[in-house]
Formats: sequence, C-alpha cells, structure tokens
Amino acid sequence: MSAVPKNRIRLLVLSGFLGSGKTTWLRHQLHSGLLRSRTVIVNEAAAAPVDDALLADLAQVRTISGGCVCCSKRDAFLRVLREHCNQSQPQDIVLETSGLAEPAAIVEAIRADPLLVHRILVEEVMVTVDALSALARLKHDALIRAQIETADVLVITKLDALEEDAAGRLAATLKRVNPGARIMGTVKGEEVALPDYANVAAEELPLLREIPAAGPIVAADIEIDPAVGWEVFSVWLSALLHARGDEILRIKGVVRTPNGRVLLQCVQKSVLPPEILPETVAADLSFDNRLAFIGRGFDAKRLKQSLKAFCG
Amino acid sequence: MCSACGFPTTQGHWSEAGAGDAHQRVRARFIRARKLDAVLRRYGLTAHDDGLTPGLQISDRTGRVIMARDLRDVWIAVEKLLGRAIDPLDPHFLQEPGP
Repeated sequence: MSAVPKNRIRLLVLSGFLGSGKTTWLRHQLHSGLLRSRTVIVNEAAAAPVDDALLADLAQVRTISGGCVCCSKRDAFLRVLREHCNQSQPQDIVLETSGLAEPAAIVEAIRADPLLVHRILVEEVMVTVDALSALARLKHDALIRAQIETADVLVITKLDALEEDAAGRLAATLKRVNPGARIMGTVKGEEVALPDYANVAAEELPLLREIPAAGPIVAADIEIDPAVGWEVFSVWLSALLHARGDEILRIKGVVRTPNGRVLLQCVQKSVLPPEILPETVAADLSFDNRLAFIGRGFDAKRLKQSLKAFCG
Repeated sequence: MCSACGFPTTQGHWSEAGAGDAHQRVRARFIRARKLDAVLRRYGLTAHDDGLTPGLQISDRTGRVIMARDLRDVWIAVEKLLGRAIDPLDPHFLQEPGP
C-alpha cells in the first residue's frame, strides 16, 4: 500500500453473508492491533444494531442501521463518509457491511461521488465465507456468489469446523468462483493454514441463471416484553428454530436475563455460544430485548403474533 | 484460536446462558417445564421435570415417554411423538383443540 497518494483515506470494505463472521474477524484484528487507528463504520440491515456494541471498546465506531448502505442507506453512508473526510486528520476506515450488501455497489457508489472519489481509496474488498454453510449456499444463493466474486481477499471463517478434505474442496471451489482472490483460513479471527488445495477438485456449481429466484429476505425487529422472561422466550425460540431453522438466516440481539445481558446469535439453526455482555459495553441500552430476525418465509407481524400467543 | 478478544461465552445449551447460579438454574428449569407442559397439553402431550433426573420427560397419551436433555431434544421428541413438528408460525399454532 505504499502507493497511496497523500490525503487519500484508505477504506477497507469488509463484507460477507449473514453470520459469516465479519464482526468476529474485525474484532480480532482490532484487538490484536492490526487495524490500528481506523474508524469503523458498521452497517446493519436490521434496525437494532449489535455489532457496534461489540466493537465500541476497540475503535471509534459509527453505525448505520435499518438498511444496506449499497441500496436504501446509500445516501446516509455517503453523508457519513463526507463528514469523515471533513475532519482535520481523518483516520483510515473499515466498513463492515450488512450481510445482505453487495460490495460492488458500495465501491461503485463511492466512485460515482464527485467529492469522495478524490478522497477515498478503496483499498481492498474482504469477504468472509462461513466454512459450514458456504458450499450449500453457493448452489442456491445468487447474493453470496456476487459477494465472493467481488472480493480481493476471501476469509474462510470457522475453519476448525471442517475436516481437511472438506476445507480443501471449499477453497478450491472459491478459487474457481473468483480466481483472482487471495484465500485465507481463520478460526475466531486468527489466521490458520489452509490445506494444500492446488490439486483438489472444485464443487460443481450451477450457473447463476439456473439458480431459482428465492423469496425476498426480510429483516424483522422483535421486541421481547421484559415480563415474558428469558426462560419462556427460550422455549418459544427453540421451537421456532426447530420448525423454521432453514428459513431463518440470522437472529441477533441482546436479551436481558437473570444472569445479565446475553448476546444471542443464531446462524440458521445453529445458536452460537451466547456471550455475557458487561452492563457498560454499549452506550445505548435501549436496544436491549430487541432481536433482529433475518430470513425468508416469515414477516414481523407473524413473529410477533406467535410470540404473543405463546407467552400470553 | 484467540480467547482474549470478545466477552465470556457460556457453556451447555444456549438457553442455559440466562442462569448464572444454582438458584437461577433451578428456577429456570421449572419455569420452562411448566410452560412446555401448558403448550404441549394442547397437542395431547405432556412435559414433566421431576427435579431429580436431569432433563425433561415428554410423553403422549399412549404412555410413550422420551427423555429430553435440553430444549433442542424436546422439539425432536415432540416431532417424534406427534409425527410432525409444532410450527410456531403456523396460523393455527396454539389453537389446536384441547384434550
């Protein structure tokens, strides 16, 4: 990066599908000092942001929630960037996109802006790839294909969840989808060696036009009445995950429990080990007990009705 | 693997994250069992936690009993006994005729 012209602010775009490990990767880089002195812009599709709370202690964070910066929140994003450029000594930036964003559209938006095009240098597009679900998703989902195709660097996350031959097959398949990208493996943000995949056969993928159009992905914000309590809520959620796990792409949010603030995150059927957050981590506790549900085949109204009927 | 960044995670089934000490765990266990029993009775099943054996006993009217260690197991057991999963987003959810 020695050729960065003076006065240009470097922007690292960190993208990747819902639950693929963007925040975990970023959190580790910030923690270990690899992305020192960067301003982090976090974009979340849901209205209740969570990622900013996880990063707040590590960097200066600005949040744009309630839509993707590649489409509905594009103007808000460009405004934030312009404000940032107007500072006397602006820091370089990491943009953590929402899991539904198309990185190419973001890069294009910056290029099309007469001011930002001279001030911001898009350094790299990094895309996190979930070792567990990426291969299956590549066959059915055009969005993840678009994300992977636009990456300069592909970061395979949760690599410890795969056997060596499966990891090799995934890397070989990614190489075929995007031959120009550098591919690396990580576990909880830390780089680990990939198996040698030079001679591994890539998985056969359908052509993009052969992938049937899926229903729209919706983001619903569900508020949990404090009177309901964690115990009853967890019974409802476990039933929902059992019956609808394939349609739920992502659930995340902070729930108040007798044991404190619990960060709950699901990627499809699998629930990540919940983290216990300190009371002070987020300046804004008003988003507690609000969960973002992202997926297909349901809407906010039905989720709310179901939760109410169950807990009533 | 880095264990220094992030916040402490909890062990066991995710639903257990909400209870920090033995008292909270016992309380949570009974609240869950009571709620589950109330819901499952509408579908002709029962849930029982005797407080001694770990886990819940899910049974149907013919006397079949399946032990479930955690909530994940519960819904697998329910699907096995009913022959279908209970879908909370089904418009008829919780409107099934009682026993």
